[in-house]
This record gives sequence, C-alpha cells and structure tokens, in this order.
Amino acid sequence: MATIQKTLILMNKVGLHARPASLFVQTAAQFTSTITVTSNGRVANAKRILPVLQLGAEYGAELMVVAEGDDATEAIDALTNLVHSRFGESE
Amino acid sequence: MAVGLVIVSHSARLAEGVVELAEQMAHGNVRIIAAGGTDDGALGTSLMKVTQAIFTADSGDGVAVLVDLGSAALVAEMALEQFATARRQRVRISNGPLVEGAVVAAVEAAVGASLDEVVTSADAAVELNKLSKRT
Repeated sequence: MATIQKTLILMNKVGLHARPASLFVQTAAQFTSTITVTSNGRVANAKRILPVLQLGAEYGAELMVVAEGDDATEAIDALTNLVHSRFGESE
Repeated sequence: MAVGLVIVSHSARLAEGVVELAEQMAHGNVRIIAAGGTDDGALGTSLMKVTQAIFTADSGDGVAVLVDLGSAALVAEMALEQFATARRQRVRISNGPLVEGAVVAAVEAAVGASLDEVVTSADAAVELNKLSKRT
C-alpha cells in the first residue's frame, strides 16, 4: 500500500469540464486505489464524474491528486500524463 | 458489460445528437440508444421506439432512460408497465436534465457504476453550474 500525492496544473483551455473530466474519471477508474482530487478547496472522488465536474477547475487551476492503494504510483503517473498532455487538446 | 442508456426526445435529431455527445464521453463502452420522434418521423414520442430502444440498450445490467419533456416521461413509464417484473426492475427513468444527465450517466456507466448510481448521478446533474462564476 502506498499513498502518493501530486499537484498538477490544468493547462488545457477549457479546464476540467465535460470531455476532459470524463477522460480524467475514466482514467482514474482503471485503478483499484482510492483516488481523490482537490481543487478550489473542494475534494472529489476522482472516479465519479459529477463531483469532478463540480470542482469547477478551470485553465490554470491547481489539482491536488492523492492516490492510496497498491497501484497508487501507476494511477498518479497515468493522471499526470493525461493532464500534461492537455487531454489531447491541440492547444 | 455496463448499464445502457436510452435517450427519449420529441425530436429524432435531438435524441441522436444527445447520443452522439454521450457516446463521445463513454468512448464506445456503453450502449446508448436514441428513441426520438414518432413512428412516422414527426415531432413527438413513440411507445414502440422507446420499447425497442430499451430492449436494445439492455445487456443485463440495466437501463437508465433520459427524457426531454412532458409526454416523453409518460411514454417511458408506459414502456416500463408492459415489461415483465424482472426487466422492469432493471429499467429506471431519470428526472435529470437531458444533456447533462446523459453525459453524466454515460461516464458513470462507462466506469462500471450500478444502475442506481447511474440514475442518482443523472438526477443530480441538475445541480451542475453551466456558468463558471457560480460554482
């Protein structure tokens, strides 16, 4: 068991809305670890779309992602790659 | 598999558009079936279309039905009434908004949420703020 924490900055134009949020949630859901994401002082279960959307995380926002479990490292790596790739958006 | 979705709208094009949007969110992992318009393609709802869509969407894990206005919900309720108990128990109609509800339900279904979780989330999608300054 491991707990990994990482702070990521949203660099995609629309922030953590609709499509990016759905990618984030579906990526998180591939792991067995418990994953939370905190932004704007709100905490969300990273595997549930509604709370993630309700974070209202926009361009430039900080996301603190915490994963706890056997695959915590892999989970944080995957979510980091997703955010750093700007969710595949071109700008 | 996953919970399936049925999108009931008075307009066939609206239903298909919502399916298109929700499918993009679910990445092809969820059955999302449109049931829009009347049998002859006019604006309205069709018991036959809704019934068939529910059968098509049902892989055994249940079906969440999203509706647009008024009689769309009535027709969905009528469809449920004709099912045998086993199927009726795994079909639920959401009171949530059509677009937000469908998107939220599609993502929930794609990550393997139960029918209850999918419908609860779709219902709660009404609380989402569209405008960024009101979160």
